[in-house]
Amino acid sequence: MQKMIEQLKFDGKRLIFRNYGFVFFSLLMPTAFYILFTQINRVQIKTFSAEYMGSMMVYSILITAIMGVGNFMERDRNQGLITLLKITNRNLNHYYISICFWSLMMNIFTIVILGTTAILINHVDLSTMQWVTILGLVWLGQIPLLLLGIAISHVKRQETLTILGNLITFPVAILSGLWWPIQILPRWVQNIGNKLPTYFLNDMISSTVNNAKINWNDVQGLGVWIVGLVAVMTVGTIITRRKGRLARG
Amino acid sequence: MTNAIIVNNLKFNYGNQQVLQDVSFEVQPGKVVGLIGENGAGKTTLLRILLGLLKTNMKVSILGHRPGMSQSVASMFQGDLKLPGVKVGEILAEVAAQYPNPKAPQTVLKELNLSDLAHHYLNDLSGGQLRRVTFAMTLVSNASLIFLDEPTVGMDVNARQDFWINVDRMKNEGKTILITSHYLEEIQQTADQILILKDGKIEFDGTLNELQKQYLTTQISFETKRKGSIFRKLTQVQAIEQNGNKIKISSTNGDATLRDLVPYLEEIQHLNIIDASLENIFQTITRGEKNNAEDD
Repeated sequence: MQKMIEQLKFDGKRLIFRNYGFVFFSLLMPTAFYILFTQINRVQIKTFSAEYMGSMMVYSILITAIMGVGNFMERDRNQGLITLLKITNRNLNHYYISICFWSLMMNIFTIVILGTTAILINHVDLSTMQWVTILGLVWLGQIPLLLLGIAISHVKRQETLTILGNLITFPVAILSGLWWPIQILPRWVQNIGNKLPTYFLNDMISSTVNNAKINWNDVQGLGVWIVGLVAVMTVGTIITRRKGRLARG
Repeated sequence: MTNAIIVNNLKFNYGNQQVLQDVSFEVQPGKVVGLIGENGAGKTTLLRILLGLLKTNMKVSILGHRPGMSQSVASMFQGDLKLPGVKVGEILAEVAAQYPNPKAPQTVLKELNLSDLAHHYLNDLSGGQLRRVTFAMTLVSNASLIFLDEPTVGMDVNARQDFWINVDRMKNEGKTILITSHYLEEIQQTADQILILKDGKIEFDGTLNELQKQYLTTQISFETKRKGSIFRKLTQVQAIEQNGNKIKISSTNGDATLRDLVPYLEEIQHLNIIDASLENIFQTITRGEKNNAEDD
């Protein structure tokens, strides 16, 4: 338990409190986008301001997972922290649990900041149950994005990871309708966009803020992404381990 | 008592490339071992296997366990550890939390004259300071078996001195230490056992005295108009190099060779006699220098 507590203390400071990249890209930027776009679209303010709050939450989670966690883990690997933990700790369970915990905390910060902004500026009025549901959805919806972040953190070069991160984050944000409604995109683009995990999460939050039932297809879609990514990562881990194993024994 | 490290007929391949071939050695508890080899000799691969970072089904025992399973192993590795947002004191506390009987980070920092760095961020430190902090992490662990992978790279003279003082201190505390290095000179004062790795094979396993007995040579150099080949018949000549008039003879028994050289003394100039340094011995082993005299 002491090891876990130390790991949480160690990661909390560097992932959140001293991580200015997170504060800017995951908190300030989505909040600024939210204020900007909801003030422009005053006509539809009643529904749009709550739905767009959800979109910006998903966008922030995407940035945190791909650009934040992915980068952090790549750096931890290349700078020797992972090796150090493997030697001292025998396995990396504490490390991964800690990263996932702080990632969730980062996303809770996002909900608090964006939610408070939505309440104060656009008078978004949700019940406690709706906020709790959003929290639960964020917890579930971050899993495939986190897995994607962990997967791309295995890229060896920082430069490649940055390019890959940009290539994933911004197209995914646009295609899944986080910046503007997916309905304005061409049909074939919509067909790609509505299969992305960010689309499923955004759609579920949108249903929640509109007091509608959560679409079962969204839950299934997220489930498929989670199972698929876990399978890909398991196969990748097995191949990597075999590469380092003896050819002759 | 079980030996701290036991390696039996270890082989290791990366794909089709054989990196380690039939490596066998044992290390007694409390001994300091120098693992020497050129770049690409297989030192780091061997170290990674001993630490459990590379898996093998060969018989390797670390403190009576399979590699990676003992709670009392620490390593100073070659990573930079330039982690943003992490202070020196914090990384030491993180390491201390992983071991059953760690030393207090503040005590270790004081021992290494690094107390001033406790509140510095890792990515603000110079390369040399980072190496010292990495060494401090090893000391904090208070582990009984310690691996030091090219530990003094990037350290200045004072830091190196402090480093070797602390290695001696750990040795006196009864810790088993395995140090990898390119340089035999660096570890000769401290190492009880020397392992020389060449092309994935152990070329030498023994003490420094045994190494010197086995490989000590005397270098006799002079200038002459004679052909180099005529000196081959001298007693105990191991190798001859000739460059124009300059001849360098490596002898396994300098006195005997010099006695045989007396008849030629009138024909030679600038006679110089030196015993081979440890560096020469290392080169002899790792590069397999042979008689390369050019007959003219």
